[in-house]
Amino acid sequence: MTLAVILIPFLVALLVIFSPRGMAYALALLSTFATFICSLFLAGSSPLSRQWIPGFGSYFELSSVGAASVLIPVAALVMIPTVYYAGYKVVERTSGLLALLLAMQAGLNGIFLAKDLLLFYVFWEATLIPSVLMLGIWGREERRQAALKYLIYAVAGSFLMLISILAIKPLSGAVSYRITDLMATTPNLATATQIWLFIGMAIGMAVKLPLWPLHGWLIDFNEQNHVSGVADVAGTLYKVGGFGFFAWALPLLPAAAQSIGLLFLILSAITALYAALIATTQTHLKRFLAYTSLAHMGIVGVGVFGLNIAGLNGAVFLLAAQMLSTGGLFLISGMLYERKGDFDMTAYGGLSKSAPALAALSLFILFTSIGVPGLANFPGEFMSLMGAFQTYPWVAALATLSVIAAGVYGVNAYQRLFQGEQKEAIREIRSAEFLVLVPLLAGILWLGLFPSQSFEHIDEQSSLLTQQLEQVDATPVKLAGGN
Amino acid sequence: MFGIDVNAAAFAPALVLLIVAAMATLWSLFEADGRFMAMLALIGVVMSGLFNVQLLLEGNASGTYLSSFGLKYLADAPAIGFNFVILIGTALAVLIAYDYLGRTDLDHPEYYPLILLSSCGAMVMAAAGDLITLILGLEIMSLAVYVLSAWRQNARESEEAGMKYFLLGAFASAFLIYGIALMYGATGSFSYGSIAAALQADGFSNVFYASLGGMMILAGLGFKVAFAPFHQWAPDVYTGAPTSVTAFMSVVVKAAAFAALLRIASSFFTELPPVLNQVLVVLIVLTLVIGNLGALLQQGLKRMLAYSAVAHAGYLGLAVLAAGTTGTKAAVWYLTAYALMNAGAFAVLSLMTDRNDHGDALERFAGLGRTRPGLAAALSIFLLSLAGIPLLAGFVGKILVFQAAISAGYVGLAVLGILTSIVAVVYYIRPIAYMYFRDSEYKAPEIKSRATSIAIGLAVIGTIGLGIFPGWWYGLINAGKSIMAMAGL
Repeated sequence: MTLAVILIPFLVALLVIFSPRGMAYALALLSTFATFICSLFLAGSSPLSRQWIPGFGSYFELSSVGAASVLIPVAALVMIPTVYYAGYKVVERTSGLLALLLAMQAGLNGIFLAKDLLLFYVFWEATLIPSVLMLGIWGREERRQAALKYLIYAVAGSFLMLISILAIKPLSGAVSYRITDLMATTPNLATATQIWLFIGMAIGMAVKLPLWPLHGWLIDFNEQNHVSGVADVAGTLYKVGGFGFFAWALPLLPAAAQSIGLLFLILSAITALYAALIATTQTHLKRFLAYTSLAHMGIVGVGVFGLNIAGLNGAVFLLAAQMLSTGGLFLISGMLYERKGDFDMTAYGGLSKSAPALAALSLFILFTSIGVPGLANFPGEFMSLMGAFQTYPWVAALATLSVIAAGVYGVNAYQRLFQGEQKEAIREIRSAEFLVLVPLLAGILWLGLFPSQSFEHIDEQSSLLTQQLEQVDATPVKLAGGN
Repeated sequence: MFGIDVNAAAFAPALVLLIVAAMATLWSLFEADGRFMAMLALIGVVMSGLFNVQLLLEGNASGTYLSSFGLKYLADAPAIGFNFVILIGTALAVLIAYDYLGRTDLDHPEYYPLILLSSCGAMVMAAAGDLITLILGLEIMSLAVYVLSAWRQNARESEEAGMKYFLLGAFASAFLIYGIALMYGATGSFSYGSIAAALQADGFSNVFYASLGGMMILAGLGFKVAFAPFHQWAPDVYTGAPTSVTAFMSVVVKAAAFAALLRIASSFFTELPPVLNQVLVVLIVLTLVIGNLGALLQQGLKRMLAYSAVAHAGYLGLAVLAAGTTGTKAAVWYLTAYALMNAGAFAVLSLMTDRNDHGDALERFAGLGRTRPGLAAALSIFLLSLAGIPLLAGFVGKILVFQAAISAGYVGLAVLGILTSIVAVVYYIRPIAYMYFRDSEYKAPEIKSRATSIAIGLAVIGTIGLGIFPGWWYGLINAGKSIMAMAGL
């Protein structure tokens, strides 16, 4: 099962490229269902370990223990409606787009499953190419500039991360790049060394998270992507920076995390607040969504850099939840664009009269996004902030302001789009479009109402991380050396 | 000359190429068909490859390696590895030339014997255990390539390229020979092992002449590998030479020169005063910066690839610095990947350009993703691999080289290497962006060639295969040892 969730989408993607449109569509849909079913059995599936580059200490090691068995099923669930929607909304070179979506899914699952640092990097970087191609080929008028900007941000970040990754093994004397070997040796590195390595990794991850001030690519990325929103959904799934910190940078370099984590906590809080405030002023629907998702990622960062178990669990949970909510909103933006051919929110209004069901569903997902209890985002957001409150209450308080702003921009957006004077009647949601949203609604309710099982899975991984962090506390001498 | 061991198995791969080249030269008096010669050349390459496989398997199984002429010709793991790189490059160059030469009116039967002779020289260079063998191999290789680079008669660029390469090459050879002479004067011997021993000995007094010699040897080889500031010939020669020759030069000549450089770096170079190592570091820094920035400024793909070849010399330079540890293995791996992706890119280019190799401007590639999807996909794979994107061979090569440099203590250089790689991504992605993100403005050329397609196919399979399963080839390289390392030198 562990390998299946990577191999199925990857191999089907290869088939899909060479298939005619109808065949490609059927194959791609089949693949997303198969991957989703496999992903449900991930928890408890046997890990996999093979030598990848012998003599170099890199292993092809995958394990689903921990956050992977939450993030992968959720991402797989989101992929089903995304591929379904892409198949009938994108008419140009459909096979290519579907293949890239599947390739991204394969890479994404690899990122979550990899237990070897180099392998993690391989998946991390390989997944970039499909997302750049999707933007560059199917994007809007200024796609080329947006793609170049995205590429430069991402590549510059990840290459700097690569330096740290390559250096960490020889410097620490670990026998391989497997996380078990690294975690045994890397905490012994001097704090100053750890900080340098951490900065290298953090730049790559902060670009992908993204954290202010490295978020510049995100807005253009979302604005210029295909109007259906499917590429944005894939991009939302691929915001793996928070996961990178959680699974790699923090556990491997705990002393660095302790000494400069606060900086990143503050940056995360700024990101959350800054993005939420800007979101309240946006009238372009996709830019608005980009800023709301950026605000959520800020809260993910706050949870991660609170450096305690509650916040870490909450952050990963929020990562999964916002795949559903932000993904859903991007798909709805595609549906709205199809009706009016415009992303300008002021051009809309009163849609709830002509399309009450669409309005209700949108409201539901917007509520999820702004953190209404009982829906998917709430437990994650709540725990992330609570975690940070325990360590740095003032920073957490700053970040909490963004949740208040979320209420404002959420209600604002709903009013702009669906309430007020009806400017022009639009078509009510079609049954096919309703089907697109059903899996997302199910996921939102599942995570919102029954979060405990997911938290148990995440906790398996975050408790390892907090152990690493506690070891640093137990040896104050080293900490003093770094400060 | 009695009492000197002659071990034919050690130099069989090179000898086969020489014999086939000689046969083909004679044959060309009666048979004017270039394609026949190409087939003959391919047979020679395959036979040479078989001998090389045997050397590899026997060597890795027994742990001992053959040598000949009293350690002047070594068939150890690095030599065998470089032989494979040379053969891959030669095979791809022959396949590219198969239809290309006819199409561009360059089809003379002497082409293929010259290619084989040059490869033979390259193998001798890679196997050289002393400076005389090195210079022999270098001249065998270079003389053939001088002729090949001026192959397009009556075209100024090609003649200029050949002339430039010949003049500067002769100059570099002179440097090398003078350096060898000084080194011999200082240490009294030609062989790498004895030179190292002489330099290490107590009371060695000729440090100045030895250093001067070392510096000149470095300059001579630096010319061949196109280290900046000795790189100036490279863009002009690569652009002016026929594309099939450029593919050959950028892979085989580079591999052979690096093989020689790595042997010197792992034997006596480190025994010389540290200032020489600092000079090498400066050369590498210049090469990384100038190669990558130069490539960024180019508008034509062929010239961009020429500058990128300079940049890759810089990355391989990092391996040279770590030659004493894992650098040689990393370089063999890197050059294997480089042979596939670079020759592959030139193969695609040879199908895009007109009879005079014009029409490689980036605008010509606009919309190629629709008009010639296979070609565009292959070129994208080669360029992404050159950029070092994972799951392709270039990525593994890059991390091996950087890792070797970091382990050898050159963290700063590794950081510079990665920073320049970011620049490289921009210029490698640009043609891809043209091919896929724009609509075509020109009619795509309809050149088709089965042989070139085979070359592209093999290169694609190799680039992806080595990228996803790097283990078996690195395992083979990693299992082997260098004779000099085994002798404790």
